[in-house]
Amino acid sequence: MDPDILSTFKILIIGESAVGKTSLLLRFINDNFDPNVSATIGVDFKTKKVTVDGNTVKLAIWDTAGVERFRTLTPSYYRNAQGAIVVYDVSRRETFNKMQLWLDELDTYTTKRNIVKMIVGNKIDQDTREVTKEEGIKFARRHAALYIESSAKTRDNVECAFEELVQKIIQTPGLWEASTNQAGTISVSQNDSSDGYLPKCGGWSCSLA
Amino acid sequence: MDEVLDEVVPTEDLKKYEKVYHEQLNSGNITQKAQFEYAWCLVRSKYSGDIRKGLILLEELFHTDKEESKRDYLYYLAIGSARIKEYNKALQYVRGFLQIEPGNHQVHDLEVVIKRRMEKEGLVGVALTGGIVLGIAGVVGLAFALAKK
Repeated sequence: MDPDILSTFKILIIGESAVGKTSLLLRFINDNFDPNVSATIGVDFKTKKVTVDGNTVKLAIWDTAGVERFRTLTPSYYRNAQGAIVVYDVSRRETFNKMQLWLDELDTYTTKRNIVKMIVGNKIDQDTREVTKEEGIKFARRHAALYIESSAKTRDNVECAFEELVQKIIQTPGLWEASTNQAGTISVSQNDSSDGYLPKCGGWSCSLA
Repeated sequence: MDEVLDEVVPTEDLKKYEKVYHEQLNSGNITQKAQFEYAWCLVRSKYSGDIRKGLILLEELFHTDKEESKRDYLYYLAIGSARIKEYNKALQYVRGFLQIEPGNHQVHDLEVVIKRRMEKEGLVGVALTGGIVLGIAGVVGLAFALAKK
């Protein structure tokens, strides 16, 4: 493994159909947005290296299909995940109402009890908001999850959502193991400056739960 | 991205959906759901025999199920074929898919992975030949040809 990499984290993206799971991922990975992105078939996989607080980790991200057809099949990918991004659409209340089911499912199938959950209310660019930020925060608090509101379209908070999740995973003891060449030590890396800007995590939008 | 061709179905999943499928088979009424779920496990098996079986089930579904489900079958036909190194066939499915959904990033990525593997395994020449043959056969009609079969 790359000697600069502290560890590899397995991250899931789950949630109802058409809430923007793939769009969040594509914004994060490629920094682009396709308003007509097609429905994911089964699961898709992407990787990305990120540096948070001077620590570089590799993210292995599994983007799952939200449609009913794959519902019974995708939980087998939950195994060994260290982080989960659970997404709803702030402009469609029914997607928020289903959040409990997604978290239950996560609890049922995950193998790591202290998996870090990040709840994301996506599509804040839409005028027709149906779920308030307060409701989202309250829900996240009740489930001891991180919370953020984002827009894959405008890129607001997308990077932040992933980075905060990573930060929390790093801080969670026993959830991950350092790669052998770094055994036991979490070094502050010298850092190439490719990520040399601060995440846009300002003010209200950051995780509050 | 290579993970989509390398990850292996957990044995308990394969067994679970195999059981459902066989129960339905015995009762003489197999649902498309059960067939698909079993096939989906099979094409992710580490055994090529399983994968081939999965491909047969998927092909059958492709010809019998409704239009909007065909994309799922095409995708997993491509995945399964690539896993048993039938790269040209896999690319045919990929191209068939992209005829219908040209902008699908998931399938474009799969195409890249398949081509990279062919290159790595020294099969580029074969790929090119395959491509030419396919070109003559008429790539455009592939999806329709598959549908009519």
